[in-house]
Amino acid sequence: MQSHRLPAPAGLLIDRGTPVSFSFEGRRYDGFAGDSLASALAANGELLLSRSFKYHRPRGPLTMAGLDANSYVQVGDAPNVQADRLPITEGLSAKALNVNGSLVNDRDRWIEHISALLPVGFYYKAFFRPRGIWNVWEKFIRAKAGLGVIDLKTPHDYHDKAYMFADVAVVGGGPAGLGAAIEAAKAGGEVVLIDENPRLGGSLTYARFDAAGKRAGALTAGLREELAAFDNVTVLDEATCTGWFADNWLAIVRGNRFIKLRAKQAVLASGVVEQPMVFRNNDLPGVMLGTAAQRMIRHYGIKPGKRALVATGNDAGYGVALDLLEAGVELAALVDLRSEAPAGPWAEALREKGVGIVAGHTVWEAVPGPGKRSIVGAVIDAASGDGKVAGKPDRIDCDLIVTSVGTSPLGQLLCHSGGRMVYDEALHGFVVDTLPKGAFAAGSVNGRHDVDAVLADGRRAGWEAAKAAGLATDGEPPPLGPRDSLNHPWPIFPHPKGKDFVDFDEDQTVRDLENAVADGFEDIELVKRYTTTGMGPSQGRHSALNAVRITAKANGRGLPGAVVTTQRPPFKPESFAHLAGRGFEPVRHTAMHHRHLDLGAQMMPAGLWMRPAYYGPEAQREQAIREEATAVRQNVGLIDVSTLGGLEVRGPDAAEMLNRMYTFAYVKQPVGRSRYVLMTDPTGAVVDDGVACRFNEQHFYVTATTGGVDAVYRSMLRWNAEWRLDVDVANVTGAYAGMNIAGPKSRQVLQSLDCDVDLSAEGFPYMGVREGHLNGIPVRLLRVGFVGELGYEVHCPASYGEALWDLLLQAGEPFGIRPFGVEAQRMLRLEKGHIIVGQDTDGLTTPHEADMVWAIAKKKPFFIGKRSIEAQMRNRPIERKLVGFTLPQGSPVPFECNLVIRGHDIVGRVTSAVDSPACGGIVGLAYVHPDDAEPGTAFHIKLDDGKFVTGTVTAIPFYDPDNKRQEM
Amino acid sequence: MSALQPADYPRRSFVARQLVAAGAQFGETDGAAVALDYGDAAGETETARRMGLADLSPLPRIGFKGAGTAEWLAGQGIVVPEDSNRASRQANGLLAARLAPAELLILGGLDSDAEPIRALGQAWASEPVPPVTPRGFPLPRADSHAWFLLSGREAPAMFAKLCGVDLRAHKFADLEIAQTQIARISGIVIRDDLVAAPRGAAGSVPGYHLLFDSASATYLWDCLIDAMAEFEGRPVGLSALRSLARG
Repeated sequence: MQSHRLPAPAGLLIDRGTPVSFSFEGRRYDGFAGDSLASALAANGELLLSRSFKYHRPRGPLTMAGLDANSYVQVGDAPNVQADRLPITEGLSAKALNVNGSLVNDRDRWIEHISALLPVGFYYKAFFRPRGIWNVWEKFIRAKAGLGVIDLKTPHDYHDKAYMFADVAVVGGGPAGLGAAIEAAKAGGEVVLIDENPRLGGSLTYARFDAAGKRAGALTAGLREELAAFDNVTVLDEATCTGWFADNWLAIVRGNRFIKLRAKQAVLASGVVEQPMVFRNNDLPGVMLGTAAQRMIRHYGIKPGKRALVATGNDAGYGVALDLLEAGVELAALVDLRSEAPAGPWAEALREKGVGIVAGHTVWEAVPGPGKRSIVGAVIDAASGDGKVAGKPDRIDCDLIVTSVGTSPLGQLLCHSGGRMVYDEALHGFVVDTLPKGAFAAGSVNGRHDVDAVLADGRRAGWEAAKAAGLATDGEPPPLGPRDSLNHPWPIFPHPKGKDFVDFDEDQTVRDLENAVADGFEDIELVKRYTTTGMGPSQGRHSALNAVRITAKANGRGLPGAVVTTQRPPFKPESFAHLAGRGFEPVRHTAMHHRHLDLGAQMMPAGLWMRPAYYGPEAQREQAIREEATAVRQNVGLIDVSTLGGLEVRGPDAAEMLNRMYTFAYVKQPVGRSRYVLMTDPTGAVVDDGVACRFNEQHFYVTATTGGVDAVYRSMLRWNAEWRLDVDVANVTGAYAGMNIAGPKSRQVLQSLDCDVDLSAEGFPYMGVREGHLNGIPVRLLRVGFVGELGYEVHCPASYGEALWDLLLQAGEPFGIRPFGVEAQRMLRLEKGHIIVGQDTDGLTTPHEADMVWAIAKKKPFFIGKRSIEAQMRNRPIERKLVGFTLPQGSPVPFECNLVIRGHDIVGRVTSAVDSPACGGIVGLAYVHPDDAEPGTAFHIKLDDGKFVTGTVTAIPFYDPDNKRQEM
Repeated sequence: MSALQPADYPRRSFVARQLVAAGAQFGETDGAAVALDYGDAAGETETARRMGLADLSPLPRIGFKGAGTAEWLAGQGIVVPEDSNRASRQANGLLAARLAPAELLILGGLDSDAEPIRALGQAWASEPVPPVTPRGFPLPRADSHAWFLLSGREAPAMFAKLCGVDLRAHKFADLEIAQTQIARISGIVIRDDLVAAPRGAAGSVPGYHLLFDSASATYLWDCLIDAMAEFEGRPVGLSALRSLARG
């Protein structure tokens, strides 16, 4: 039974043919499709939506426009859903937030009775002494604080993002926005009109612009028809612009999509938010803004109450009163704050209907009903000055108090990108004072309130925006008219007993603000932070105006020049899901990726790449690594090295380029040979390494580390922009699949294939490079020795990678081939004492510290870092040195970064350590004090558990020191 | 199941598994299996008009880069676009995309004829080292870059979910190129309409070549399939594209 539902045609947004059942607080209700949760509840006579944040006072609809926190509810795992914006759906189940027990019988409602003990700032004053007391209070406060409940196990919901583009974007689909969009569209540009409602028209859809109540409908129909004639206007309805960033980058939330709109020019026609009147119990269900009542009536066909009192300070309140009367609400009285009721059709129409107009009066307090869950009356009194009454209260029975005392511009979006709103004393409110570049304000947000002025201002802004966007505008725009105001100068009536709320989100009253100033927090920005006024979900939309007024009066500074506190995005709450969107996390797979998975590899990330760490179950990790390493030492293994960087350096100056980029010498490097490359940065720190393969006089194929290749490539391009060498550098990392077949039987495996390269030790010696084919697959073959065995890196076009991998594994089967992963490779290279740049070096490691002076060509006139390295050698002894070490049998294996301690000083750290089957014990690399770097010297490693183990500096390589195995 | 499978050839598409999983029927091109259709060539033609994704990775292509590239290619008979980020259709079906003053990408035609691309590579390789005049250097674009073709009127709306560049038909003209980020990886987008029509006329079928890091092919395939779903976009085979291009 929807007891408060009005008959059609009231209810613009609802579909009476589609009933919808839903539940709130466990009780079932009926509504119609198109209803919001708040409207559907109101249709059933339920105005109680929530409890307030601090005092747990009952709260009901305030704005009916998603501009207050009264309407926050919990829907499933979604906290803080606005009931006045949430469409009801069949079976929807919502609950109240922040209640202990139930919404009706909230056990925490007692808190308001000790409000005197909880003055503003109590939080800062009460819980810091004695020392440690916060730890006691924190649990209680945290249990009581907060709004909705976050479910950490909430399943992922699909959200995504999309870009849009426009010549002119218009935010707000009211009369100003429609006018702006139409004028911009006339100029032929692409126009995007953003409106958060399901139906365009803004205030035209709910407000009253003439006593007869006919104007809005006629205007709406005309504007809609005019807009429909353009096919260059995209309407984003039910979309909220939440942020306005530089260059008119607009953030828009629409459904589950986050839209990033780039507009050449943008018009803000977001309108205004009506401001509450301040009196005792002004927060209770049954007290609402005039526009909220109008939205109920016209949007949803709801009778907001049975007997109403309208309190106003402007003519718009008379329109509200007429609307209430037409909706069948008995009007107890219209209280006008102004000393005299206005002459003219508004008042006349009311008087004709027998409504008593009480001028020069205010509502002094609302009289609560049982449990304060409703109101049963209003106490009015003669207003004798700013916030004062004559002291002759008069009670009027009513279940609804509707206020209409002024507005504040919804100009927050402009402030996101440099706009400003300041207080205009003549207009008794904020006005948009500064516009960001490429932005226009139009309509009531721009201080025009008469509907004709609003429409004209919208057309003007649209015309000007189109012109600024470079579109072909005709004629001249309507002139910019004067600002006007609906604001009463002081609709604030503090009550001796308090509960005269300024900020409903945070339960801040007039006295709280005054006390903040008395505590020394005089500036509005400080008052905001001290009291939290404006810091709740509504972000001051319904509180900033009155808060500034009260603060200015309390601090004696006055209102002229007062500004709104800093407005930051988002304008309305955005969910993390919207910000996260679809989530793009690029991942790179080598050509053999699926083969690794098929073989049971445990994959590990290496930058964006995925690499096989080892093959086999996690539980058998250590065994798998040892077996893989043993296979390489005894037979043959195959590892995917596609992720290593590959750069083609080609041209007449290719060798000179390498000579400058790397520490070694390359000009005389023979064709068909590779040479180690070590790169240092201008400070002399080691940043990358690899090998340079010379395929002809003007062509080097240079490898780089997996994580470093992009930086190396960029560095080469950047330096050559200065050097202007005749050379071309191309990053071909992804173009080649690479695999290293290593082990004493690796040559036999390759020789078993159809290969057009002489693979003999003489024909293809260690560090040689060749181009040829393996079973018809084009390959580059590199004889390298990273793992210390006879081995060949085989590089082929990526599209052949999988086939070549299969080929090598198949050919290696008779030789006991086994795929090995990164972990085994790390062990094998460590046994050979080869460093991994980035693991055994850090951002400061010099070649001297890394004991790699052998890789520096002394006679070269230049390479990057040479000057720094030479200066370091001349002027500063090194403070650490990378050495090999062994540990006694039975020692635990140190972790990377376990510290090396000398006396009481940290002198270094372990960079790598393994228990090596080939070496028969623990071997590793560590930075030690230079005085401890001689082989045989003992040094101390502090383990994770705080215990020490003594290592012995040992010459590297640990394995095959004569390098005979890799040079077979 | 298709008689031909990608694994029958040593050269394979970077998304071969995704194609097989989607039910592709394969044909051979240039020593690799290419997805010809997914069992409904006629239906795919209609899909391609709306929103289709085709893997053209097995089709031939090559790049050239470095001083002398444009001049050398012009000497090989390629009509080189005057400006960077423009492409030109060649009489032999190739598409020459100028990515920078001294960098071009040459795409083979939908007919899969590998010969023109191979001839370019051979012509370059047949000249002496060092060359008499600068001629740039070949780039292994067939392996460094996967090649997808997105087609249909909904393609721009789909791209808008992945890319910050305005690729709408009236803003990103036929034969324009964007070198940008697609789903957070670098990509080259070349508009090459399958069915051209005068601006604003009905019946055109926009096509967008998308070339990007081959190692990211499976990642981007999944991103595109996901982004297309809203528009009922699906994988389409080469046959549907050929059918559209033939008219």
